[in-house]
Amino acid sequence: MSSTLRIVLITGSALFFVFIINMVRIKKLELKYALIWLLTSFGFVVISIFPQPVFFLAGILKVEVPSNALFLCIISLLLLMVFALTIAVSRHACRIKKLIQELGLLKAELDNPVSKYENPVRPVNPKTDQTDSK
Amino acid sequence: MQDKTTGKPSKTLIIIPAHNEAENLPELLKALKNTKGDFDIIVVNDCSDDDTESVCISHGIKVISLPVNIGIGGAVQTGYQYALYHSYDIAIQLDGDGQHDPGYIPFLIKKVEEGNHLCIGSRFIEKEGFQSSRARRIGIKFFSLLIRLLTGFEITDPTSGYRACSREVIRLFAEDYPKDYPEPETVVTVLKNRLKVTEIPVVMKARENGTSSITRIKCLYYMIKVTIAVIIAAVSRRRVVTQCE
Repeated sequence: MSSTLRIVLITGSALFFVFIINMVRIKKLELKYALIWLLTSFGFVVISIFPQPVFFLAGILKVEVPSNALFLCIISLLLLMVFALTIAVSRHACRIKKLIQELGLLKAELDNPVSKYENPVRPVNPKTDQTDSK
Repeated sequence: MQDKTTGKPSKTLIIIPAHNEAENLPELLKALKNTKGDFDIIVVNDCSDDDTESVCISHGIKVISLPVNIGIGGAVQTGYQYALYHSYDIAIQLDGDGQHDPGYIPFLIKKVEEGNHLCIGSRFIEKEGFQSSRARRIGIKFFSLLIRLLTGFEITDPTSGYRACSREVIRLFAEDYPKDYPEPETVVTVLKNRLKVTEIPVVMKARENGTSSITRIKCLYYMIKVTIAVIIAAVSRRRVVTQCE
């Protein structure tokens, strides 16, 4: 690996790491979701300083060019991360749908003139009202 | 069914999912008022941009207005949730676009009261009225065949959105209902839960105003999505339907 490429990689990954820390600091990223990015960016810094593990891995997998072994690792990691995101999105879509439906049903109950006059949604209880005012 | 055991008349709810149907609704609501039988009506307004909500209110029809558009499946499911919360015995789903003639409601109710769990209004039993385009008929035939292969039951019109459900199916749908293009998939789910599905012949009209939600571009997506959904529904584990008291 040429020293210029190494310098570029080290500065790039270090900047990325600092950027993520800053995003968490100004509360744009929730730490829970930022954790995986923090680990990834930290991993990039380590690998750009000590690339030996990549050469070792390339040797084991019989990959001729070490950078391809690195690509393989990164792409696998990215696939996993995107898949995790798809799971999260599906879960959120499901939850949002449920919330919208409950909200619609609740609004319909409140708007219903029958329940307003014949069977009040919130029965007025003078006793609890008094204790509330005290 | 409740009326078999207790003799009480069944409580019926008509669920009308509506998205921008202000032009079609007045006629449908008028027709519903002239329909024989004792039933309540609920319109699920899926965040329409037009006067769907005020049209319902001016007709004295109860409406659930969803704050965000969640698609036909979600809107219909909201209706089933309403039916479950208010312990209706029968829920009938009817499109808001005027394609479905409310005149068949008493027949659908009768079929469910006889012990069927899901009764579908089918265009293809007597092959009368609006038969849809040729391409669509082929698509429907395909799903019909697929369902027969997977479940062994003959359903002539699995895409029909005109259907009546018993309490067991109301519960099933209130818990889980597909987001888009739900009809064929839910038929399989009901069959897989070993509930009885039947069909009655109905005549459908071509829609009066507006356009169908399935455009030509979405057709391919529709076929692929529904095919996969039907297969997944067929291999899904049977959900235990708690017998309603």
